[in-house]
Formats: sequence, structure tokens, C-alpha cells
Amino acid sequence: MKKYLTLLFLCIISFAKLEAAEAIIVVANTSDKSIQLSRQQVRNLFMGGVIPYNLDAIALPPENQTRVLFNTKVVGLTEARIQSYWAQMRFTGRKRAPKEVDNESSVLEYLENNIDAIGYLPGDISIPDNLTVVYTIR
Amino acid sequence: MMYRIPYLLLVSSLVWLSFAPSLYAETNDKLQLSGFARVVMGYIDDKDAQYLGYDNSVSVDQESLIGLQADYQILDSLAVTGQLIGHTADQRDSGIEWLYLTYTPTNSLRFKLGKQRTPFLNYSDVIDVGYAYPWATLPQQTYPRHFFSTFDGLMANYEISNSLFVMDIEGYWGYFEDDVMIAERQMKAETDDLHGLINTIHINNWTFRGSYHQGKTSVEIDDITQFSNLLSQIGFSESAKSLATDGLTEVFQFSASYETLDYFVRAELNHIHADFVFVPDTDGYFISTGYNYFPFTSYISYSKNETEYEQPANDIPLGLSPQLDSLAYGYLAIFDQLPVDSSEAFTLGTRWDLQAGLALKGEVSLIRGKANDRAFFTFDDADFDRKALLYLLALEWVF
Repeated sequence: MKKYLTLLFLCIISFAKLEAAEAIIVVANTSDKSIQLSRQQVRNLFMGGVIPYNLDAIALPPENQTRVLFNTKVVGLTEARIQSYWAQMRFTGRKRAPKEVDNESSVLEYLENNIDAIGYLPGDISIPDNLTVVYTIR
Repeated sequence: MMYRIPYLLLVSSLVWLSFAPSLYAETNDKLQLSGFARVVMGYIDDKDAQYLGYDNSVSVDQESLIGLQADYQILDSLAVTGQLIGHTADQRDSGIEWLYLTYTPTNSLRFKLGKQRTPFLNYSDVIDVGYAYPWATLPQQTYPRHFFSTFDGLMANYEISNSLFVMDIEGYWGYFEDDVMIAERQMKAETDDLHGLINTIHINNWTFRGSYHQGKTSVEIDDITQFSNLLSQIGFSESAKSLATDGLTEVFQFSASYETLDYFVRAELNHIHADFVFVPDTDGYFISTGYNYFPFTSYISYSKNETEYEQPANDIPLGLSPQLDSLAYGYLAIFDQLPVDSSEAFTLGTRWDLQAGLALKGEVSLIRGKANDRAFFTFDDADFDRKALLYLLALEWVF
């Protein structure tokens, strides 16, 4: 019995860990700590649309695993489709893709140094006090 | 005057650019350089006909092209953009395709002033950027190539977003002046007071776009104008009017698409109406569905168009005198020669996204037309069955 309980406990721990690793948080450097965004607003913002807040989105490069998770969970489109969308927007003078930074630690560094910047990060990353988590998806 | 770039120049530009450092990423914040290129290889299985310039031998110089874009941010809210395109096809002009100033007073409002692509249909302004759509080519049945593609003028765009939807409203006004190819004749065309309204709504996985466009078009066809004047002087005003070389052009368009991670369904329909000689009323539509299995997307499409010319007038009496008879036959002969481009196409294809910014597509289309129609084919033998398979292989690149 004890063996089964231990096994169950290990399973729960590993699932919890997996969930934390697969969760995505959207983090902003904003003076208004009360901001909470909906999935639709986050999607709009990272697809070049307008939302009621003046925030500048930054993104990770196409092959990055956090970006893949963000595309799947929040945008709901494949990377190929997102790339096509940005080609259409850029060459018709409509919108520009968010600035890309190399990796998750560069996102944190960029957010800390730029007021009103917003980016997505894995759920298990520790966030400095001056940044605000404005959206979480598990 | 038609300009085209030699195929060798296109290939050498591509090779050079592939060794150059990433232009887009490395330029400074104020000036951004970017570009796109496509090499499209095509072949049709019928030795009696040509379709969109493709024939029974493999050719790469019909739709291959290279485009370069420079954006310069003058002030926070003011930018200038230029886009230069080199086409390999001799039917397409190479040169400046876009050159405009963008003024963005707020996040949701944008004005563009200058030379721009006319946004008639969903993909009209991005037709040359093959990377932006899944298919190897946009269906000729819905995207007729003879359509005037750019205008000079002002475009305003306003975006509204809330928790339910994002809506884009675009309005534009301007004019167009260039050589066009209509009914196998090249002529100078002018469209004044060209304006349109476009509404695009995104709701969850759906995107809907509806638009209306109109302009006053006049074309220069001296022989037709002279003949029309002659008919008018003799008193056959109906016949004279039916040969008008100016009139209203209208375009109605609606499209819908549904996209998820796994699949897409896209459909578009349009109606083109022109009040002057040689341009028929056209109804076109396409529907396409595709399945994504990264890095591939496979799709199946169907497209169809019906064109109809205005009927000739019949106020010239027949059988009264040989002179009137020859006038009537001369008049009717103009209408008899007009090519009917009604046709349909079934397409199967796959897009392979090799890496971000680079895709390879292969597709095969069965093109069919009715026995007496031209159906966008070019052929000498009247017995040609108006049926052919078109094979396309396209390499698409954005940088």
C-alpha cells in the first residue's frame, strides 16, 4: 500500500512539475500593477492589434520552445501560419511583428529595462518584483 | 512600356542575397530592409495550349519574381516605405510597386499616402508574396491577372478591438493610370475617383472580409471610338452606346476563413462589373481547405468563374441595304471576337515549411472550360478540349 502511495505521490509531483513547465505567463513592466489581460487581448497584442493599454510586445525566436507553447495555447495557429501572417502584414504596410530577443533570460532583461514592454515566459520562471504577471495559461 | 528582369538576374540576385547577412534583422532601428522572392516552375500536360503563359515545356519565367522593401522611420508617427519588384514574366511591369508615407497619429488610426496596391480582394495586395498564402498560385478564376493592381492616393485604416472581436475598417481614394491588357488588346486605361471601403472582422478563429470598390474608368481604343462616333452620327445611338470606352467599374467581395492549429477552410467570392466595352461582368469564387501536419500543409481547392458580356444592341436594321448590312456585320463582329474566360479549377497541393521564411509548394490543378470559351487558355487549334493539368512547384522566400 505504502509503495502505491509513494508512486501516486511521485506521479502527482511530476505532473505538477510538467504543468508548471508547460504553463505560460505574460509579463509586463507597467506601473499599473492591477492590469489583467484576457487571452483575446494577449493574442491581439502579439498579432499586432490594439488593446486598451499602451504596451510594446517582444517575442522569442521561431524555434524557441516557449514560443511554440505560446503559439499553441494562446495564438492558436501554427508557426508557419504566423510567419505567413507577418509576411502579409509587413509587405502590405499594415503591421510589424514584435521585436525578437534571443532567449528567456534576454526577455527578462529587456522587460526590466523597458517601461511598457510585455513578453511571454515559461510558467516556472521567477519574476522580479518590478514586473507584473498580466496573464497566465496552464 | 513593359519591363522584365531576365531569369539569370533573378537567380544571381537570389544567390547573392542568400550569402548576404540577414538584411532584415541587421539594419538599424530607423531603416529596415526586407524582401521576398519566389521561383515558380510550371508545366501543362497539353501540347495544344498555354495557360497563364505555361505550356508543354517546363518554364520558370512566368511568376518568378524578387521584391525589396525599405522602410524608413522619419518621426515616431511618420514613416516612408518603398517596394521594388522585378518580374520575370513579360506581362508584368517591373519597378516601384509601393511608395508611400505612413502617418500613425494613434495606435488604432493609420493613413497611407502615395502609390499602393489596390486592396480589391483578400490577397490582392499580397499576390506577389507567395509565402503569405498556402497555395502555389492564387486561382486565376478569382484573381484575374489583368486587373489593375496599384493606385495613387490616400488610404485610412481604423482598428476597433474589444473582448469579442477585432475590426479593421479601411477606406481609400485615388486614381490609376497605366497600360492594361483587355480582350487580348493592350490599351491605356485611366480610372479616376477610385475608392473603396473594406471591413475585416476577426472573431475567435473566424475572419470575415467584405468590401466594395468603384471607379470611373476610360480606355483608349481609337478604332472602337471612331466606329462608335460613326454609328452615333448615322443615328444608331444604342449600338454607339454599347461601344462606350468609359464607364463605371465596381467590385464586390466577400471572404470568410476559419483556422485552427490543425486545419483551415477559406472561401472568397467576388463580382466585377464594368460599364464599358470589352470588359465582361464576372462572378468568381473559390473554396479551399487544408490540413496542417507540421512542417507540411496539404490542401484541396475548387475555384470557378463565369463571365458575361453585355449583349450587342440591335438597332441597325438588316436586309435593307448592303451598306447597312456591312455596318451591322462589322458591329456584330466586334462582339463575336470577345474571348469568354469562364472556367473552373480543381487543385491539390502541399506546402512544406522548410524553416521560418522559406517554403516549398507543389500543386496540380485541373483546369476546365466550355467548348466555345477561351477559359484563360491560349491556343490555335479550335478543337482543343479546354481541359489541361497544370503542375506548379514554387519556392517561396521572405527575408
